[in-house]
Amino acid sequence: MRPALLLLSVALLISAAEQSVRDGVYTTAQAQRGADLYAANCASCHGIALTGGESAPPLTGGEFLSNWNGLTVGDLFERIRTTMPADRPGKLTRDQDAAILARILQAGDYPAGPSELSPKTEYLKEIRIEAAKQ
Amino acid sequence: MKLALCALIFLLPLSAQQPSTRKGDWPYYTADLKGTKYSPLDQINASNFNNLEVAWRFKTDNLGPRPEYKLEGTPLVVKGILYTTGGTRRSVVALDAKTGEQLWVYQLREGNRAAIAPRQLSGRGVSYWTDGRNDDRIVFVTTGYRLVELNARTGQPIPGFGKDGIVDLKVGMITGASKQIDLETGEAGLHSTPLVVKDVVIVGSSFKEGMTVATHNNTKGNVRAFDARTGKLLWTFNTIPRPGEFGNDTWQNGSWATNGNTGVWTQMTVDEDLGLVYLPVESPTSDYYGGERPGDNLFGESLVCVDLKTGKRKWHFQIVHHPIWDYDLSSAPILADINVDGRMIKAVAVPSKEAYLYVFDRVTGKPVWPIEERPVPQSDVPGEKTSPTQPFPTKPPAYGRNYIKVPDDLIDYTPELRAQAKDNISRYKNGPMFLPPVVGDPKGFLGAMQLGNASGGTNWPGAGYDPETHIVYTQANQAAVSPISLRTPPEGFSDIHYVLGRNDTQFRVSEGPGFGSAADAPQPVRRPAPAAAAPQANAGGLTVQGLSLVKPPYGVISAVDLDKGDLKWQVPYGETPDAVRNHPALKGLNIGNTGQPGSVGLVVTKTLVILGDSQITSVGHPRGAMLRAYDKATGKEVGAILMPAPQSGSPMTYSVDGKQYLVVAVSGGPYSGEYIAYKLPEEL
Repeated sequence: MRPALLLLSVALLISAAEQSVRDGVYTTAQAQRGADLYAANCASCHGIALTGGESAPPLTGGEFLSNWNGLTVGDLFERIRTTMPADRPGKLTRDQDAAILARILQAGDYPAGPSELSPKTEYLKEIRIEAAKQ
Repeated sequence: MKLALCALIFLLPLSAQQPSTRKGDWPYYTADLKGTKYSPLDQINASNFNNLEVAWRFKTDNLGPRPEYKLEGTPLVVKGILYTTGGTRRSVVALDAKTGEQLWVYQLREGNRAAIAPRQLSGRGVSYWTDGRNDDRIVFVTTGYRLVELNARTGQPIPGFGKDGIVDLKVGMITGASKQIDLETGEAGLHSTPLVVKDVVIVGSSFKEGMTVATHNNTKGNVRAFDARTGKLLWTFNTIPRPGEFGNDTWQNGSWATNGNTGVWTQMTVDEDLGLVYLPVESPTSDYYGGERPGDNLFGESLVCVDLKTGKRKWHFQIVHHPIWDYDLSSAPILADINVDGRMIKAVAVPSKEAYLYVFDRVTGKPVWPIEERPVPQSDVPGEKTSPTQPFPTKPPAYGRNYIKVPDDLIDYTPELRAQAKDNISRYKNGPMFLPPVVGDPKGFLGAMQLGNASGGTNWPGAGYDPETHIVYTQANQAAVSPISLRTPPEGFSDIHYVLGRNDTQFRVSEGPGFGSAADAPQPVRRPAPAAAAPQANAGGLTVQGLSLVKPPYGVISAVDLDKGDLKWQVPYGETPDAVRNHPALKGLNIGNTGQPGSVGLVVTKTLVILGDSQITSVGHPRGAMLRAYDKATGKEVGAILMPAPQSGSPMTYSVDGKQYLVVAVSGGPYSGEYIAYKLPEEL
């Protein structure tokens, strides 16, 4: 019983680490929807080019990746979902948040793929954020 | 015997009964009134820094309806009790400094007044006043710009101060020539802590970000002094001089009456013995366009020395004439008693976004080393009239990069990277410091290249100083590459002729730090969402394959000898970011320590300079951000401990019952605000 449970946990850990943002986890159409939502809800603080400014951190580049490298897309999704936009957190739907997240991945030069980014946190927690290829 | 001792204590001057770093306290935001951030404690030193352990943690999530991710406070400690602010409601807490146990919490529910405030979130902390006997008070400014005094023992408002413990700081703030701002919706706020000296509380003022202002006739900044016991207004210093006041003629065409800002948003310092207060003044409206305010615009971007008793100007030095670069005076002026060529000088040294240390005789205002007026490039933006010259210190040398020298300062790990950097930057106008903004044009220059204005050099965290060795320690951001382009505002948005942006791109308002994230922030009225921005071609990108356009080090720590006016040492700040270290284009190259960009504060102890990284790293240690100790004498790193998130507020240190503690605010990315206290393990 015990060894089997242990094996199961190891297997789960491995599967959780299997997918990364490099594996085409969003679609181009989703990112385009996200770009529109981003312009309307995020750009005034984080900048049109996602480069941030005096007022808010960048959402692309080294400083951004340093905060999120090694964590999951689910962690980033929850941060957005629970605290953004700053003037009215929770204003956007899960689908809208996922689209904005797709736009952020696109801006980070991560490839698009055949299926959309899920709006469900549990699924997004299976996708690791990687700053650069080791 | 006891009676005699009692009498002796009674006879001691009040100053002897004040808390101080010598007694192990940390009674001011900057450690003392002179802005040094220096504590003589030395229990934590190079030999044991790596052994530091968490003494306690204080999570600030529940000090507001939602967590804060930008915790910037530096606590005070007086007689074993720690006081600070935290959370999206900017609550004040008192904690047992040994254990972190909460003793009391105070919050003021300000509703919409706080929700629309120009300076939101938890601010930088609190101040402390005592009559030296039994009356101890905590003084702070709320998100909604109210000055509050609390009983330091109970956290209850002081009934005899203002009205029920509160002075409304919006009363007396004006726009135009004399129009009182609306007490609810009028724009004024403050992040910094009040300057408390003797029986006087001095507060500054600040406003929304000045890049895309809705009007040049914004609220006017000022500095005011209040009676610490009663809250009675003692004096006001008009940072925009009124008719008849010195400097009014530097606002040509009567433009003093139609412009605002020019507040003091950072920490002030004071020489108690001389009775002189030092005010670091910010930019006038607006940050990048001054066409509505011809003239030098005193006291914009000036260091002003005023009399503590009267608020009258003693001297001033304008560091930037007719400011249009957002070179706000960002840092607490440091009061330093130095020895230059055998001459004792009571000096004041101002760290800056320009990465210059401007050093003056603090009695006379005369520069300790010559500061030369040199010709600078002139603006071609319609309506803008730049100053023909700007001040350049001859000593000490700049302690950070303050413009991009092309091509020398561009990334050069490989010829390909250098070539791409040259290509990228060719889309922008380049030049020396004080290159004026341009009207960006995709057929010409996309903007004027700047380094070190908005977020370069030293920002609000300021610098530190060792009063024994006369050395200033600073951290500076060397990679704040920020081209400035102006555009005409969209129809009906503003009465100013130019704002930040480009005419060929979609207009966006630049909001202030944490704007809209205060506790009670229902923000129904927003401009309608415009159509999506057209996807832009890759032209004008500033990074090179995701790497900074400029060479490392991206940030530096420097020691500046104020007796000699020289750089004693300079080292990269922090360690190479993961994204650089693991970059495919740099594979196989020895890139050394690139340091990190970012702007952080530091604490100076008997032997160490202590400050944290601004980025999370994960090479050679578990994922986290390091808090590092550097040898004061050499800049060599002598210790580092892992924190769960980057330092977001300046560290401080204190001692209780013979044990030294180090407290730092951390937050950012997925990690919400937390104060962490470190101490050495108990001896076995």
